[in-house]
Amino acid sequence: MQPNRLKQGGRIDRSRPLDFFFNGRQYRGYAGDTLASALLANDVSIVGRSFKLHRPRGIVGCGAEEPNAILQIGSGATTLPNQRATQVELYDGLEARTNKGWPNVNYDIAAVNDSLGRLFSAGFYYKTFMYPRMLWESYEKLIRRSAGMGRSPRLPDPDHYDHRNAYCDVLVAGAGPSGLMAALTAAHSGARVLIADEQSEFGGQLLSSAESIDGKSAQSWLQDTLYQLSQFENVIMLPRSTVFGYFDHNFLAIAQRCTDHLGGNLTGQIRERQWRVRAKQVVLAQGAIERPLVFCNNDRPGVMLASAVSSYVNRYAVCPGKRTVVFTNNDSAYQTAIDLHQAGSEVVAIVDSRIDGAGGLGEAVRNLGIAVFQNHVVTDVSGRRRVSGVLVAKWDGDRCAQINHTISMDCDLLAISGGWSPAVHLHSQSGGKNVWNEDLQCFVAGESVQNCISTGAGNGYWSLRSCLQSGHDNGRDAAVLSGFETVDLSLPSVDDLHSNALQPLWRVPASKDPDRCPKQFLDYQNDTSVADVRLAVREGYQNVEHVKRYTALGFGTDQGKLGNINGMAALAECLDRPIPEVGTTTFRPAYTPVTFGVCAGDHVGDLYDPERKTAMHEWHLSKDAPFENVGQWLRPWYFPRGDEALEAAVARECLATRRSAGIMDASTLGKIIVQGPDSVTFLERIYTHDVANMKIGRCAYGIMLGEDGMMKDDGVMARLDENQFYLTTTTGGAAQVLAWLEIWLQTEWPELDVHLTSVTDHFSTIAVAGPNSRRVLQNAGCSIDLERQSFPFMSVQMAELAGVTVQIFRVSFSGELAFEVNVDSGYALYIWKKLMEAGKEYDITPYGTETMHVLRAEKGFVILGQDTDGSVSPHDLGMHWMMSKTRDHLGKRSLSRPDGKRGDRKQLVGLLSTDNTTVLTEGAQLIENPDAPPPVPLLGHVTSSYASACLGHPIALALVAGGRKRKGETLFAAASDGSMVPVKIVSPVFYDPKGERQHA
Amino acid sequence: MPDPILHSHGLEPFLSSISSATDCAEQPGIRIGIEPGLCHINLRGDPGSVEFIDAVNSVLQQDLPLAANTMTTGNNRIYWLGPNEWLIISSLEKDKDRVTNLRESVRGQHACVTDLSGGQLALRINGPHARDVLAKGCTLDFHPSVFHSGHCAQSGLAKTGVLIGLLDDGSEFEIVVRRSFVDYLAHWLQHAAEEFGVEFSVI
Repeated sequence: MQPNRLKQGGRIDRSRPLDFFFNGRQYRGYAGDTLASALLANDVSIVGRSFKLHRPRGIVGCGAEEPNAILQIGSGATTLPNQRATQVELYDGLEARTNKGWPNVNYDIAAVNDSLGRLFSAGFYYKTFMYPRMLWESYEKLIRRSAGMGRSPRLPDPDHYDHRNAYCDVLVAGAGPSGLMAALTAAHSGARVLIADEQSEFGGQLLSSAESIDGKSAQSWLQDTLYQLSQFENVIMLPRSTVFGYFDHNFLAIAQRCTDHLGGNLTGQIRERQWRVRAKQVVLAQGAIERPLVFCNNDRPGVMLASAVSSYVNRYAVCPGKRTVVFTNNDSAYQTAIDLHQAGSEVVAIVDSRIDGAGGLGEAVRNLGIAVFQNHVVTDVSGRRRVSGVLVAKWDGDRCAQINHTISMDCDLLAISGGWSPAVHLHSQSGGKNVWNEDLQCFVAGESVQNCISTGAGNGYWSLRSCLQSGHDNGRDAAVLSGFETVDLSLPSVDDLHSNALQPLWRVPASKDPDRCPKQFLDYQNDTSVADVRLAVREGYQNVEHVKRYTALGFGTDQGKLGNINGMAALAECLDRPIPEVGTTTFRPAYTPVTFGVCAGDHVGDLYDPERKTAMHEWHLSKDAPFENVGQWLRPWYFPRGDEALEAAVARECLATRRSAGIMDASTLGKIIVQGPDSVTFLERIYTHDVANMKIGRCAYGIMLGEDGMMKDDGVMARLDENQFYLTTTTGGAAQVLAWLEIWLQTEWPELDVHLTSVTDHFSTIAVAGPNSRRVLQNAGCSIDLERQSFPFMSVQMAELAGVTVQIFRVSFSGELAFEVNVDSGYALYIWKKLMEAGKEYDITPYGTETMHVLRAEKGFVILGQDTDGSVSPHDLGMHWMMSKTRDHLGKRSLSRPDGKRGDRKQLVGLLSTDNTTVLTEGAQLIENPDAPPPVPLLGHVTSSYASACLGHPIALALVAGGRKRKGETLFAAASDGSMVPVKIVSPVFYDPKGERQHA
Repeated sequence: MPDPILHSHGLEPFLSSISSATDCAEQPGIRIGIEPGLCHINLRGDPGSVEFIDAVNSVLQQDLPLAANTMTTGNNRIYWLGPNEWLIISSLEKDKDRVTNLRESVRGQHACVTDLSGGQLALRINGPHARDVLAKGCTLDFHPSVFHSGHCAQSGLAKTGVLIGLLDDGSEFEIVVRRSFVDYLAHWLQHAAEEFGVEFSVI
């Protein structure tokens, strides 16, 4: 039983009934319905409560402009808040509920707010919830609940979303008559066309139109045109797709809703897709949005836009009322009266503010015997939960005139039209200004600042014929501008009725002044009335952006699509300025709300950020190693035996390495090959040490400085040949260092013949460290003599290891005798396993990043980024010996600034807890006197801190002001619990200070 | 060198994790072939030097592509990476000595030959929806009127850098990705191609 459903007509499929639920109650609609049309068919007049005053509200519009029917759709993890019922396609089992109203939307206790209306004026929240400020967060929750904001799902989203990049010559936003003509014309020229429309099917106004084109119904012309378009290979057609953002460089974003109209249970399918389109030309064919009229109680359920009523009647076969009054200041609403009449519904009267009424449509209406009250206005509406009648008064065209005698009319539907506002949102987003058109009494798109053009009703062409014509012309021009031939199509013939001009009517005067009369609403969604705007002006707000924020005019899910122009007109009236001087607020993306899913696409979960894996990753996994993220790399942190915890595992790994042999995956180090006759010159400008003196086959530790003289990166440099070097960088610095080197090479020193090639991924690096490391390599079948005489510390040699060609570096980051084996990553896992096998008799122990950190800290080796930040110079680290005295290099001059020579700069030192047991907290601040009154001078902080199993006590590295001169002093490290740990300043080299072990 | 079977391309864990899952009866919209064991060589040199061009040609028996973002195919697939940089991909077994030979041929010139075989992996992508999948993760225009066969480009695919080339008949793309990213990229491809049906195989 659908009381308001017409027996015939419409684009619904009566053979496919669909059951749905609204606030728990079951209703029935048909395939082709929107939730709104189905609710209207079932005579559901109250679909929400207003934001502040909790007034009952009904459906007003039939598209994106809908301010009242904002519903929660679905439940659980896939629920969608704040959906416009007018844009939700009906599906079987759809569940919708209102978030507003308690105990329910029909009986809302907070409706008492309406009687207290004057308390809830503009700025109510600012004025009421100011104090105490700390309670704002609690207030906010209450306000949000009371306002009936939608609820976001609490569960993880089970659906898939994705992104798709697309290019086209002509993007057409909107598939109404002008958009379709534009697409068709551009397609004929051969241009790549992408046409998108937010509705479930293409056609826009044609879907509801009673007009005829080429002697056929508009719908049949539509069907032919869509078929033609679909035959073009160069056309992509996207229904259910909202062009929601227009960004720089003709980059636009489209939200395509792929499965929402099908309901649940769609595993494996994409729910929503974001099209990221780069268009050569854009044709904006978004159409226009009808404006309401402003009079007392113009928000009562049953007050609807005239065009929406026509759509419900013609497209959805739903007649939203039994007795209708039409109130208008322009011709278009006359068509609504005709549509209602044709559908067999009673039209009580057309109330037209204009003296001479409508043109051609006026004639047609009179022929049908419909009463027309020209020169009259509706001043007030009766009925609280549903329109029951209207008061009509004679109107002399002067906005200040008093209302004299009134006529009362009974009706249950009031169809209103205050004219049309082109949807200039995307034009505005593109950076274009909107300009006031005095003839049309609306803002239209001003000059384009990007490659776009507005067309059809979106540019102020109201008649169907002019829409088709402008669409054709703009589509043709867009194709030509993207480099295609001019194509002219013959335009379909359409009867163009003469129409009379609209009469500006921004507010119907009431019997009392606007602040005392019943509410005259401007913005339904935010409960903003004329009185609110006037109050804002009285309180000193004049700029439209300020008034917007003070009164909430134009906020919310509809972003003022209905109310903005009327609101600006009300402001203009108050300020006694013309509307264009008041101006509009700026439109921003998104045109209609989009989900987080469509923004995030598939960049979620495991795909949020790449995880880079080394060639030995699987082996580490098989040993249950926890991983540490270093840059994007996953590095094994430690290798627990059984249920060993971090501390125990690290102690064991450290001892095994110092006493026998450890093995570590060091593949993540950045690796760069430097080749060319000017390599030495280049490297000497980058690095601080003397490169020219390096012998072939030898390695050196190198540091590079930024232009500011501060530590930028460090690593080992090896000279492989006269003109060929191999560099390592820190794991995290690899990409930046290569880019940094290329910048110098390409922009500053292009005269240098040097080539850089990253080999980070090609080589895997296996570090074998410890007194038995040499024997491990020998056991594994290393082809070269590894003894110190033929293979000294800090040198490199090629070798065969287990049958694979490798490069072996005798370098050490642990201070032990150590070898780093570089091997083609394809063979790395094989070599790793061979070395594990060969090391068995020495109990070779794999170790992770934590043990690496402890071993290097025992030696006082810094890690850039941990022991340094961007303000640490090589002098601060005691590396002045690495600076060439004879030549220049990057950063050298900066170090000679007075600040670089200050004696109280923070310098690297070692720290020992005086109790010999406390492991300091990294980051702990160091102070001289724990009892000093604040502000306490902070001398520095702990940068690295570990328990050292080899030394039997904790060690720490720190940066301390004038630290090197303070050796032997006691400072205090502030612990997080507030206690102070006394520490002694010592040398940062705790283990093997002479460095004998690495030379073994 | 040990048996090539010991050589790993890095996608073995991924392939074994999906081997049971991709038993789709229908024709997949995307086929992804993994090409392990190829020889990847980075070549730097002066394209204006006849000596360099001749030397390279004598070893490769194939012209270097000199136009930006193009590739040549033949014994090898040679990609233009920059005004003085190329990537040469060829079968490893056939060209064991290629790196050495190339290096020898340009000795004495300002030219460099760097073996990257262990550092990157080539994937072949074809099927009716190949372009659709690439369009999900890459901002380039892959329309046949724009991206012809013989074109190549270095760009981003999802969140990793790749080299993309369109091979001879315009129906198959080759994608070269750094080894440490292959596992990520394979997972992304599997996810992005799911709606079209996807099949992975080792070529």
